[in-house]
Amino acid sequence: MPEIDIKKQKILIVEDNPHFRTLIQSILQALGVENIEEARDGAEAMEVLRGYDADLAILDWKMDGVDGIECVRRIRNDTESPNRFLPIIMLTGYTEESLMNEARNAGVNDFLGKPISAKSLLTRIISVLDQEFSYVETETYFGPDRRRQQFPHQGNDRRKEQMNFVKLKVYERMESRVG
Amino acid sequence: MADEEKPKIITPPNTLKSKVKTGGPGAVDEAALERAEAVIEGLTGSYLEWVQDDLKKLQAAFDQFVADNNAENLDKIFQISHDIKGQGGSFGYKLMTAVGNELCRFIEKTETVTPQTAEAIRLHVETLKIIIGRDLKGDGGKEGEALLVGLQQVSDKLLEG
Repeated sequence: MPEIDIKKQKILIVEDNPHFRTLIQSILQALGVENIEEARDGAEAMEVLRGYDADLAILDWKMDGVDGIECVRRIRNDTESPNRFLPIIMLTGYTEESLMNEARNAGVNDFLGKPISAKSLLTRIISVLDQEFSYVETETYFGPDRRRQQFPHQGNDRRKEQMNFVKLKVYERMESRVG
Repeated sequence: MADEEKPKIITPPNTLKSKVKTGGPGAVDEAALERAEAVIEGLTGSYLEWVQDDLKKLQAAFDQFVADNNAENLDKIFQISHDIKGQGGSFGYKLMTAVGNELCRFIEKTETVTPQTAEAIRLHVETLKIIIGRDLKGDGGKEGEALLVGLQQVSDKLLEG
């Protein structure tokens, strides 16, 4: 893994579950990130972003109030959006293709499947930080260039979505191999 | 029409990468990663409190569903089990993730609520409680395998029936 200093990144966590927020924040702090803000849903995220020049947002998909997809749409499309180019990682336990496409079409940069680990979170952050995203604007879409987006294989998490015990074992082997 | 749909490619001002230093004293290395993993490990006690709360909420949602088996109450069960699924694996309780996942999938596949629906959900809820009650970490070994396989068989049978 490349040695990357993410200390100076301003990271916004948007998550309605306080336990997940604690988990993500604890991991980020342990990795050295000093400037973290939190929001409980998409509406609060937009409020926070007006006064917080975030470098990266980590959004949950399913939230009470304004959910992750709608929040991404607002960040990308609202005329008063503070930063339409904000890199966005979407946290999700949903891996159905149609839902992934919905998130892509809303303009996410990347996905991170739950449950997360320190390594999976760091890997995804580095992946987003390392990519030079081109953005595309059409009449119906604004966001990362989907033609060139290479979403990392969600293999681990996708399999977990469907796992039976045997698949769980396979997943563990894959994870240890990747890790 | 072609003009209307022609995408405009924009290269954003990339202030992000300029802040990302490679190497140096503050770089995230394996040691930092290990510290982060240790922090998660240290949160296990908190997780066990959180999950007890979730299990209580899940039981309450299930009781509500039994009293009134409407879609709203079923959705509450889904939401809570989805949270349980999302957290377990982070703290080493992969079976919680696996069973939470099974419960979510079962609810998603449920088209018509029957008396057997509640029975299947009850089994999942009880299994989740057993995993925490017996502190079945990881895949839970043979006991975990038996629990999961049994649940899947029951769920499949009920969904078929």
